[in-house]
Amino acid sequence: MSFLHDPQFGDRMITLMAALVLVLQIAMVGQRWLMTNIRMFALQSFLLATIAGTIAFFNHAEHVYIAALLTLFLKAGLLPYLLVRLVKRVGIQQEIEPLINVPVSVLISGGLTLVGYIVGDSFYHPEETSAAAALGHNTLAIAIALFLIGFFMMLNRRKALTQVLGLLCMENGLFLAGISLTYGVPLVVEFGIFFDLLVAVMVLGILVYRIGETFDSMDVSKLRRLRG
Amino acid sequence: MIVMLAKSGLQLLLLLLVAPLLSGIIQTLKARLQTRRGPDIVQPYRDLFKLLRKGMVIPDTASWIFSAAPYMVFVTAALVGLMIPMAATDAPFSLFGGILAVIYLLALGRFFLALGGLDTGSSFGGLGSSREMTISAIAEPAMMLAIFTVALSANSTNLSEMARSAVSQSWRFLAPSQMLAFSGLFIVLIAETGRIPVDNPATHLELTMIHEAMILEYSGPYLALIEWGASIKQLVLMTLLVNTFFPFGLSPNWTVSGLGLGLCFYLFKLLLLACCIVLVETTNAKMRLFRVPELLAVAFILGALALISTFLF
Repeated sequence: MSFLHDPQFGDRMITLMAALVLVLQIAMVGQRWLMTNIRMFALQSFLLATIAGTIAFFNHAEHVYIAALLTLFLKAGLLPYLLVRLVKRVGIQQEIEPLINVPVSVLISGGLTLVGYIVGDSFYHPEETSAAAALGHNTLAIAIALFLIGFFMMLNRRKALTQVLGLLCMENGLFLAGISLTYGVPLVVEFGIFFDLLVAVMVLGILVYRIGETFDSMDVSKLRRLRG
Repeated sequence: MIVMLAKSGLQLLLLLLVAPLLSGIIQTLKARLQTRRGPDIVQPYRDLFKLLRKGMVIPDTASWIFSAAPYMVFVTAALVGLMIPMAATDAPFSLFGGILAVIYLLALGRFFLALGGLDTGSSFGGLGSSREMTISAIAEPAMMLAIFTVALSANSTNLSEMARSAVSQSWRFLAPSQMLAFSGLFIVLIAETGRIPVDNPATHLELTMIHEAMILEYSGPYLALIEWGASIKQLVLMTLLVNTFFPFGLSPNWTVSGLGLGLCFYLFKLLLLACCIVLVETTNAKMRLFRVPELLAVAFILGALALISTFLF
């Protein structure tokens, strides 16, 4: 298995998986069903964990394995499970109603990807031929695009739960940027982020549940009205 | 000249024989996945044979367009089939035109099919034609963008050139631009062949039908020609997908051993793609008609991103 030790092969696999992550992200913007959206997020996180694992393997960076495992268990397993349970418990309407209609949203995410590429391109210096610089080029652009599209998803959606999904996608983008540029931030920070995220989703889950109970709807635009 | 005729004859034979078989395989696999027994894989041949022997009913209001449409659909599909590489990298008609000719010949066939639907003046025909045109108006640019991505990395719009360059750079399909283009083209394939999230190929009892609504007035040999043409078009699009993105095993020349191996690889790749289509069809429900443009918008964006990313990398 000689290709397993060829860093170029690893590079190609990472770029390919990063592109798949981007495809999933755009599909999430174009998708109306909440459950499918959550499943897509789980799949995206799984791909991210695979990217982290591949980077760890080809660059012999052992601590990245831990980040990969954490991503796998938390973001591809636990968080989607919590979200699905929340959806079932609140019994909300399953269709997402974006503020801007879907074709235009998809077009905007395409434009945001382009922005990501333009921004990522300015960080690219071909004269530095170290592995990290070469690796960062494509994946950094995709990571910025993920971040921007996640932000756009948060803005574009009315329901609190779907905004949580946007937040998680943004975090995925940050994780990809961190891991592709610097082989992951220090482990303590990584733990901190994961713990933060877990708590955030739990708190937001409770919040969403309370919003649903009090206002009979999860539409955050109705939060303006005061209730005793 | 004689060599070219022989090549064309061989490929035409392959095209005409494999196309109904592929439809049959998809039908059977779909039925098995839904735990039905389903028809035999040779059922499309039986259907075609039966239809070709039957008499025809032609509506009184129909003009010559009604009779011309089936021939146009069949001939354009077969002509396109001779322009794309199937088992060998050299397509017999590759000198007659590249990818643009392929796209527009398919569009010509579709145009005549829509005219045939309109010609009888029945309300279902007009409905089907207008839907078909709406969908193809978005699917066509998406398809072009995706194909241009491949053409750009091959530096040629000639399909044989494209296949040859894809064979020479065997890891190219791992590039993100190719992957994006492939996803875009796969959605277009689903839309163009009238598969489930867009259209339901199994029934003409639905108000949201597209393809079936257009051909509702056709019967007998004309219907056989249209159905055969549609299955050839499906084969052509699937071939385009497998051979430009995954060119493994394409024979560089027309020798017997090379062709045999190429054919085996080709049929295997087709089978894999058919499995993907079956999975998509089984796991999805049919979309509402007004949601279809959203799906195609995703395909369009994927194609556009693919094209842009070839320039940026």
